[in-house]
Amino acid sequence: MGVRFYFEPKLEKPDLIAAWIGIGNVGLTAVDTLRRLTDATLFAEIEPWDYYYPQTVVIKDGELKDLVFPGGKFYCKRVEDRDLVFFVGEEQADEAKRSHEMANLVLDVASNLGCQRLYVVAAAVSPIHHTARPRIWAVPNRSELLDEVKGYANTVLMSGIESRGGQGSITGLNGLLLGVAKARELPAICLMGEVPVYVSQLPLLYPRASKSVLEVLAARLGIEVDLSSLDKLAEEVEQSIEAFYDKMPQEIKQRIDQLKQVGEAREAEARPFTDEDKKRIVQEVEEFFKGGGRH
Amino acid sequence: MSQSHPFVLKQIPEMRSPSLLVGWRQDAGRLGLKVLDYWGRKLGCQEFAEISLPDFFPLSGVSVEDDVVQFPESKFYWSQESETVLFLSDTPGQEYYRFLNAVLDVAQLHCKVKQVYVIGGMVSMLTHAAPRRVLGVVNQPQLKEALRLEGIDTSMEYRTPRGSSPTISSYLLWLAGRRSLPGANLWGEVSFYLAAGDDPWACKRMLTALGRRLDLQVDMADVDADMTAQAQKLDELKAEDQDINKCLEMLERGIMLNEEESENLVRMVTEHLQRKS
Repeated sequence: MGVRFYFEPKLEKPDLIAAWIGIGNVGLTAVDTLRRLTDATLFAEIEPWDYYYPQTVVIKDGELKDLVFPGGKFYCKRVEDRDLVFFVGEEQADEAKRSHEMANLVLDVASNLGCQRLYVVAAAVSPIHHTARPRIWAVPNRSELLDEVKGYANTVLMSGIESRGGQGSITGLNGLLLGVAKARELPAICLMGEVPVYVSQLPLLYPRASKSVLEVLAARLGIEVDLSSLDKLAEEVEQSIEAFYDKMPQEIKQRIDQLKQVGEAREAEARPFTDEDKKRIVQEVEEFFKGGGRH
Repeated sequence: MSQSHPFVLKQIPEMRSPSLLVGWRQDAGRLGLKVLDYWGRKLGCQEFAEISLPDFFPLSGVSVEDDVVQFPESKFYWSQESETVLFLSDTPGQEYYRFLNAVLDVAQLHCKVKQVYVIGGMVSMLTHAAPRRVLGVVNQPQLKEALRLEGIDTSMEYRTPRGSSPTISSYLLWLAGRRSLPGANLWGEVSFYLAAGDDPWACKRMLTALGRRLDLQVDMADVDADMTAQAQKLDELKAEDQDINKCLEMLERGIMLNEEESENLVRMVTEHLQRKS
């Protein structure tokens, strides 16, 4: 049970940026894009068998050639005088106990490399329309970071989100990593890109949210990155969303169209889209897909 | 045994270089269970070890099947005379890697096992009377020729499709390979309408092929009797139900059934065999 190192990087007070697979793959797309754009180098990976069930068996001419597991990989790169470590988790761990072990394993690597700060990138399901620019919901793991987070562009704290009153939860390894980091006194901030509530039910990426997160992260880290690849991907995804939208019955379309006004209402501080509204639209979209998209 | 090991050894078997045969209770045509049970009886195998259940099975309650409480089992048996170790188990629900390592630890470290064969059923659109194949997947290429000599097809090409997962048998074979333990998964074709119950034809084919490979000479009279009894029950159903008769005749002539006909055949055969059992 452990981490396999390909080499041990010598880094100076790096920041760790981590993401796991999740809704709209917002975090995974963001971190994978950033590590690709910065040309970061793979230096270690988690030995997967204790955490994951294999994904694929490859048999050729009657011989078992390979058993492929999901990966949990570490990359590093020095960008503009700043050392960065990326962790990309292709799957959540199988069980709660294993999730806790994995969170500690990731932070053990971070600690050994001298990481000073952790950023966890994830998704926030939100009552927004898919044509809206996703905001970032930011949650630090210590109150001293609140002032810093308030200075981020296009970002809200939980207390700034309609009808939440500063409360909420961050599920899975994203949340656990923040908690374990808190216990280990490693300052951390979770950056969650908004995903429209009805899109969160679809098997689609949501690169618009990934882009929003990366804009904030790049500004915070003081690095310049060209995010046009995400724009292109977002256009393709939007075409798929529009195709789904076109097939939906009028009643659901009307509810989705209502969300366009939520953004405007947000500006005007009018009645927020409530959790009840959110549940109803999720149910309707789920029922629509259960029916094979037929009504 | 030390408590850190997730198994209990009741006895240390004395063997030189035995083979490990693995079967899962949850299997198409109950093939692994039936084959291991048959050899267990005929070879006079004795239980000697058990995997610790709480580590690997969710034990928050019990399930009930066919009106009877079910509880997982994960046990080893051995026969000194035939140099054979049998491992018959329910498939675990968690900690697969540790579970499979525990199985191989018992086999390699305490029994000196030198090769492993994992038996499984593979559902096929065949009638019960059709000849069956056994398909072999090896973890070392040198095993292929030995299996081919026993009429086992070793030309499978497969990649897990998206949305599916590898079987636990593949996982075990892969792990055995990493531990330099040669082995094979042997997949016996099971008629699709017998997959929920017993397929004695598939059982006999596996007993014959693997029995020859391992030189396990056992009396086949019981499995022959099972085949005769199962064929009689199916003949009764054919006589009672013209639709079933027609479906079976179509299959025998190589005509594919549509989805509704297939589902109906599976349901009718399963219910009939349950009533007659």
